[in-house]
Parts: sequence; structure tokens; C-alpha cells
Amino acid sequence: MTGPSGVGIGWRPEIAGFVAELPGLRFVEVVAESVPPTGPLPPGLAQLRERGVTVVPHGVRLSLGGAEPVDPTRVAHLAAVAQRVDAPLVSEHIAFVRAGGLEAGHLLPLPRSREAVDAVCANVARAQAELPVPIALEPIAALFDWPDDELDEGDFLTEILDRTGALLLLDIANVHANARNRGTDPLALLDRLPLDRIGYVHVAGGAEHGGFYHDTHTDPVPPEVLELVGALCARQRPPALLLERDGGYPPAAELRAELDALAAAGGFPAVT
Amino acid sequence: MTGTLAERQAELVAALVAGGPAPAGFAAGPLAAARAALRRKRAGEVARHWPLLAVGLGAAWPSTFADWAAERPTAGSLRDGWDLARALRERDALPPGGAEELAVREAGLRYDGRRAPRPRRLPAVARAGGAVAVQIAGRVRLVRPAARPPAHVGGRYS
Repeated sequence: MTGPSGVGIGWRPEIAGFVAELPGLRFVEVVAESVPPTGPLPPGLAQLRERGVTVVPHGVRLSLGGAEPVDPTRVAHLAAVAQRVDAPLVSEHIAFVRAGGLEAGHLLPLPRSREAVDAVCANVARAQAELPVPIALEPIAALFDWPDDELDEGDFLTEILDRTGALLLLDIANVHANARNRGTDPLALLDRLPLDRIGYVHVAGGAEHGGFYHDTHTDPVPPEVLELVGALCARQRPPALLLERDGGYPPAAELRAELDALAAAGGFPAVT
Repeated sequence: MTGTLAERQAELVAALVAGGPAPAGFAAGPLAAARAALRRKRAGEVARHWPLLAVGLGAAWPSTFADWAAERPTAGSLRDGWDLARALRERDALPPGGAEELAVREAGLRYDGRRAPRPRRLPAVARAGGAVAVQIAGRVRLVRPAARPPAHVGGRYS
């Protein structure tokens, strides 16, 4: 199974028909928790595998950044899905999603503290011990920061990647969102990250709402994010760019145009 | 800053989804934005499990859900929507589609409000907002639709 390459798209049941008809597609990502560990694969996904399309399971509920040890049954599920789709790698987030018995319902940022680095590295090591393939870690979009921060984002992420040996799943829309919401320079962060460790890149849309940029995945990819894709590729072209859309699905022509824009920005062949 | 990472994370999640006090040192504006964003995401997920309830409430859905969810942590989208539909039934505030959705669910599944709903083994009748659903041998049928407001006749909606 080959690694992610070229332009891909997040496979979702709602757009399975659209994805199935992309002639040049070589790579999709699937939300790992949505794939059953046994029994038939979701329709559409099985056909993509038969075509030899690379499928990367993307976990969203492991809570690798939780202070508690990662749940072994969740790791086992991710490992089983990786095997089922013959994945070259899996991915998860540098984030936590539950604490004290409560589910947050989405990815929450960690404090950029030594204690948090230790916690996430310990959980990544626990997961790596059970996973059949490498893991790529994705920094998230955060609407708030912790008062506990000891490290800046570049040092925080680099230290986690160095200590775990994990690949980087860079979400360029998250880079934009964080820079916009913190008032920092997204290019300065790109210059601090180990871009040679990128497994693939996420690109998604978002919207301004109440004074914040929200990484919604339900809006079009804004021009600023596309420009950042170009800036990233000028520094180091990643092996693959993946478009994430999780709702508010537009007409097929609009999704095709977004995929074409990614291909153009990254110098990849069009998949449409 | 006091407390271990585990304590600080628990305090933060409680503040975001269970009406807990804001942890010390966090900026209020960004935390409020995060709280609202989590609630919108949760509302969207519940709407996928309870489409007739959400569509029936229409423009009132986001605020109805947000008011109900403010201090209630999630029990999963199916149960969240179920609990909300029952609360609306108590207040006679279920839209017709939501009433039918609730009656059909309750005829087919037993839900005690504390644990995951389970299929009923015996025949059952369920009612919500005038809607009546019957389940026999696992097959659920809506035998009476919910009352709907009278249609406008000759008005600008005709």
C-alpha cells in the first residue's frame, strides 16, 4: 500500500457518489470511528479499495492529549480499521476530547506545558505499540489558549514529533485559524515546523463568526488558506493535500473546483 | 495555576459543556466562543439523529437546543434528542414532525432516560403531541399523525 500522494478528499457517506466518480483520485481519508471493525466496509469505500485508492483512517476520539492513559479499546479499533483498509498510516490529533467523565464533543487544545508534552508523548507511545502502521499527528485549531503555556507552538509541536517519531499531519486551515485568532503570523509558524516530516496536509473551509475564525469544514476554502497552501508548497511540497468537508455539501461543481484549486496550488495533477 | 493536568482538563470540560465555573486564568471571550462552537456542533449532530424534530422547530431549533443543552453534558446524540423531545412534550411544545418521531421511537425502543435505549420485546403503543405509534413484533407503524395547525385557506400561503 502506497502512502498518500497527490490531491485527496475526506470520504464521507454523504459525498460517496461524488468521490467514487473522481477519475484521478489516489487517496482518501476516512473517519476511523465511522468504520466498523468487522463486517462489510461502508459501500463506496470498498469500491475505492478495489480500485487501489489509498485509504487513511483518521481518528477523532482517541484523546491522545488526555491526562489519562489512552483507552486501549479505542486504539485496538483504530488498529483494526488500519488493517481492514490496508492503510499505509493512520492519523490522530494533538488534542483531548474528554476529561473527568465528560465528553467535550470536539477537539480541545492542550496547554503547551512540559506536563502536557509528557502526557501526549506517553499516549502516542501506547498507541504506537499497538498500531500496525506509523501514526501522523495533527495540530488542531484552537479558539482559546491555556494560561499554563510554557512553550510556543513551534517548540511544543516539534518536541512532541521528535520524542514520538510521529509524522506530521499539517492542517493548513488550522495554521490560518490559529494565526488569525491569536494575531500571529502563519508563515512564521511554517518556518518553525519540521516540514520534512509531513505525511500529508489537510485543507478545509471555515468562516468568520463573532470575531473569530471558525474551522467549520462546512464552508468554502477561503483565499487566505489557499495562499497558505502555496506558501507551504514553496517551502517544501508535501506528498499530498487532502480536502476536508463535513457538511453543508455544495454542488459537485463547487467541490470539483476546490479540488482543482488545491491541485493548482500544490502543482499536483487534477483528480477531477 | 493549581492542580494536575487531569484536574485542569476536567475543570475545563465541565466549564465548556456542563455549566461549570470558568477555570482560573482563561480569557473569557475565547472560552465563550469555544462553548458556543461546541454547542453548535452538538446541535448539528443531534439534528442528524432527530431530523423531524429539528426541521419542525425550524428557525427556533438552534436556540431551543442551546437553552436545553447549556448545563447538560451530552449522553450521545440519540439520547440528547430524546431527552429534549420529552422535555418539549411536557411543555406541549413539540412540533408535529417531532411528536411523530418521538412516538415512533418510543414504540420501538424502551428508554429509561439513564441508559442506552433497547428494543422492546413486547407490543407497545406510544403517544406524543397527538401522534400515536404502535409496535407489534418489532414493526413500528404511525397509526395517527400529530395534530397540525389548520392550513391557510385563500390566504397568501395558498
